[in-house]
Amino acid sequence: MAGDALLDIRHLAVRIPVADGPLHAVRDVSLNIHRGETLCVVGESGCGKSLTSLATMGLLPPTAVRTAERLAFEGEDLLRAKPARMRALRGDRMAMIFQEPMTSLNPAWTIGEQLMEPFLYHGKGNRRAAEARAVELLERVGIAAAGSRLAQYPHELSGGLRQRVMIAMALMCGPDLLLADEPTTALDVTIQAEILRLLADLQREFGMALLLVTHDLGIVASVADRVAVMYAGEVVEEGTTEAVFAAPRHPYTRGLLSCIPIPGETPRGQPLGTIPGTVPSLVGGIEGCAFRDRCAFAREDCARTVPVKDDGPHRWRCVLEDVPA
Amino acid sequence: MTPILEIRGVTKRYSVRRGMFEPKRSLMAVAGVSATLPRGEVLGLVGESGCGKSTLAKMVLGLETPTEGEILVDGRPVASLGRLERARLVQPVFQDPYSSLNPRRTVAAIVGQPLDVHGEGTAPERRTRVAEMLALVGLAERHAAAYPNQLSGGQRQRVAIARALILRPSLVVCDEPTSALDVSVQAQILNLLAELQAKLGLSYLFISHNLAVVYLIATRVAVMYLGRLVEVGQAETVLTAPDHPYTQALLSAVPTPKPGRGLPGAPLKGSFPNPLDPPPGCPFHPRCPVAQDVCATTPPALESKQAGSTVACHFAG
Repeated sequence: MAGDALLDIRHLAVRIPVADGPLHAVRDVSLNIHRGETLCVVGESGCGKSLTSLATMGLLPPTAVRTAERLAFEGEDLLRAKPARMRALRGDRMAMIFQEPMTSLNPAWTIGEQLMEPFLYHGKGNRRAAEARAVELLERVGIAAAGSRLAQYPHELSGGLRQRVMIAMALMCGPDLLLADEPTTALDVTIQAEILRLLADLQREFGMALLLVTHDLGIVASVADRVAVMYAGEVVEEGTTEAVFAAPRHPYTRGLLSCIPIPGETPRGQPLGTIPGTVPSLVGGIEGCAFRDRCAFAREDCARTVPVKDDGPHRWRCVLEDVPA
Repeated sequence: MTPILEIRGVTKRYSVRRGMFEPKRSLMAVAGVSATLPRGEVLGLVGESGCGKSTLAKMVLGLETPTEGEILVDGRPVASLGRLERARLVQPVFQDPYSSLNPRRTVAAIVGQPLDVHGEGTAPERRTRVAEMLALVGLAERHAAAYPNQLSGGQRQRVAIARALILRPSLVVCDEPTSALDVSVQAQILNLLAELQAKLGLSYLFISHNLAVVYLIATRVAVMYLGRLVEVGQAETVLTAPDHPYTQALLSAVPTPKPGRGLPGAPLKGSFPNPLDPPPGCPFHPRCPVAQDVCATTPPALESKQAGSTVACHFAG
């Protein structure tokens, strides 16, 4: 399976040196994603989901240390790829969309110049071809009067339009893999719904693989083929969306699902499910299960190395045979 | 019994100029909004960015003055109240606990400041009240000496809640109180707000763009679009079987954590209108799936439709 994966990450770790020692921000993460597939990486602040995608793109902060057994894109070893090779891949074969469309566009450049830049940089054609491609993609992402938008600056566009411009920019070279880090978090729900539909349509049309980083399990349920739940730098549960939502095996996944109110379904006037406590510090590393201090089912052997169990396509890290419902 | 909050035909206009040589234009942020919050209940206010919900909240807090209409808290017009008097009646909890707390003061100083300002009790009495309040919001004694940067987002929001409640106000305006928090922390804060409401007999004006959160905590819900209320009613009714096409669209756009339901709702036509140039007639008609000719000319009034709900739509239901 993993052999022909578009992106194959095995035992990825990211350490960030801080005053009190190394911060183990990503610990032993293995993920793979196939052509045309949507993988959602879900978790709360500080779980390492964004760093995992940045590590894949080679965009970690300079002090961060990345190690992995394997990090391969289309069979090519990214661990040994030189900066020039990474620059050639980024924006061409693999592209990224960030959360804040307000800050990830250059305020001093027109929309058109920013859209055309990756196309010209990667030598896909001349300016005329770049402009035609930019107009075509702006129309494709649902921006009216695309031709006249090219001369506009980011501040002239609303948040939803800016995020569409970001998506169009990522698609300029027709990437095989699109990494989207919380692409709709800053947007209103109706615009979020439009952007999610747009991403799903474009993915089908271009046959792209989509790695979507989000904190919202609602988004996961509506777009993901597979989901990886991260906690404290680790993937604690991974599997097909149906399997993970129908029978979550990790107590953290269960806790997270019980925290989300659903109109018309969650009983009103009763406390919502919560996860007591807070995320442990990742400075200096953690032995055993990182969730054990917050887990209602923790026992002595949780402090030792936690086994990875699997049930076909569904994998999780927990000592328990079966988590009581 | 007088309702804790009465909003009577409130309009807020801002005068804006888009460029140096452009003429000034009038932007109607809130347009003729009336609503009532009975004592001990929670009125949820929902809508998208720019719909005027935060402007309305600022007017309830006395931070902005209505251009027309009046707001009564506990039967008294907000405009006639002095700053201290108003602060005893109504207090805010804001969205971002990272920017709403002074980073240079300890938790005890932040929570105790309203007591100092209002000259309540002696120093030892104030300390006791601060300690009681911290315990009430679920903070440990050791947190009293901490600075905001030593606390997590959830703990900071608890500090902000403690500060809002220390003067025992009757009304708390919660403006997106959980939007900056992780889901597991959001659940803790929602449970805390519900518990405090029951324990202290508080009333909340609860503003959020998250319909699921409002469904859980609010007794009544008011849906805003372009400065106007489009639907008002019991939370259970409005957020499960809405009558207004806008509320329906908003609700169907919320992704539910259940696979197999597909992508969230079919998108609305067009985009959010420019508030400087609102559409004539019903403000929602250019994007409405059921709009007809009359919608472009005649603005619908809020009318009773089903049990306790009022809806501003010519064709609702």
